[in-house]
Amino acid sequence: MTSITTSGVTLNIKSCRTKFAHRFVRSLLQIRNHAPPSSSSSSEEKLIQKRRQRIKIAAYSSMAHAVGPRMNWSRALLFKLRNRACRHRKKKRIVVIRRKTKKASRSSQGSVPVDQAKKLRRLVPGAKSMDLCSLLEETAHYITCLSTQIKVMQALADHLSK
Amino acid sequence: MDPPLINESSFSAANPSAYSLAEIWPFSGEPGGSGSGLGLRMGSLGGLGDSSVNRDGSLEESTVTEQSGGGGGRKRRDVSSEDESSKLVSTSSASGLKDSSGKRMKLARSQNENGGSKVEVEESSAAGDNKPAEQSTKPSEAPKQDFIHVRARRGQATDSHSLAERARREKISERMKLLQDLVPGCNKVIGKALVLDEIINYIQSLQHQVEFLSMKLEAVNSRMNMNPTIEAFPSKDLGAQPFDGAGLLFGSHTPREYAQGSHPEWLHMQVGSSFERAT
Repeated sequence: MTSITTSGVTLNIKSCRTKFAHRFVRSLLQIRNHAPPSSSSSSEEKLIQKRRQRIKIAAYSSMAHAVGPRMNWSRALLFKLRNRACRHRKKKRIVVIRRKTKKASRSSQGSVPVDQAKKLRRLVPGAKSMDLCSLLEETAHYITCLSTQIKVMQALADHLSK
Repeated sequence: MDPPLINESSFSAANPSAYSLAEIWPFSGEPGGSGSGLGLRMGSLGGLGDSSVNRDGSLEESTVTEQSGGGGGRKRRDVSSEDESSKLVSTSSASGLKDSSGKRMKLARSQNENGGSKVEVEESSAAGDNKPAEQSTKPSEAPKQDFIHVRARRGQATDSHSLAERARREKISERMKLLQDLVPGCNKVIGKALVLDEIINYIQSLQHQVEFLSMKLEAVNSRMNMNPTIEAFPSKDLGAQPFDGAGLLFGSHTPREYAQGSHPEWLHMQVGSSFERAT
């Protein structure tokens, strides 16, 4: 199972994985280099929390970058992360506006239960305004990518901690 | 003649006669053939109706048949063009036809009313160009399968609607099967709701796992940062070059340069082996 084909989009998971690994290692190095060497600053806990967040974001964004803009979820994820970076600088006005528009999403379900689909929409990034077919497709791709990401991260952690 | 109502009526394709009509119509290719078939249906319909209304019924019959042919043609044209109003009109007229053939046992009077309103609709839409309808039917035969997939959600054409709906459902179940293969332990679950629940749980667990792993990596990473004795080890593994050089190398998209660094090799080894084992 190195590649799955979903309606014209052939996803090579192997190349995805190597791309993600390179990117992620690079951003890990960056985070390590940029972090203050000694923990003499104000609060240790906050710093750790912040670094965790940064690593998580790095993982997600490198995954999205590795997938590229052909999938909806990666585009949405990149947009979200970029927006998130903006949000720190600006205020939270953008978020409020976007929440309002989110509620106007329609639900076009035939045989699939609505609330489950809604929950799924909440989980998969960028799935707010998709129809069900593409929602499922994106979910499949997202799951594959997430598991790949987890494997890479696991391998990295194993390697670094030994 | 509002679209939601029509969609409702066309969704209830369990009605066998409507179903068969939907089966027959798109495969009969040319609008003339479909029109004649509909005319036959309408004719039998008129025969079933009252004798008192039969005169009007036969009169309306002819108009209905020719309008239906036009409707079929225009429906195919609408696929290529994005005309919203005429799309609505053709949809409604076609669904009216389907409705009428579905309720075949009812009085012909209601049929006539249907036909009358249909004629009005056709006339109102006659302002739009009707001519290219017959011309564009032939070239649009080939990509018909495509537009069924693409346009199914709009509820555009009722004859192909049930077809499209079926295609969509097939697609959904296919995707569901794919997802079931992806999610472990999901094959035994029966029912779409439960499968979706399983998928949702799996995604959540994956996201939690990412969180946990980022925590772990943070600990490892910062520990290596703080402890200079361990620093030697990752610098051998991760950063053979200084960071800028590494970034420049790994940022470029040539695999030849990837192979130069030392850490891509262990990445390939480690990750690749674990991945193959897992799958």
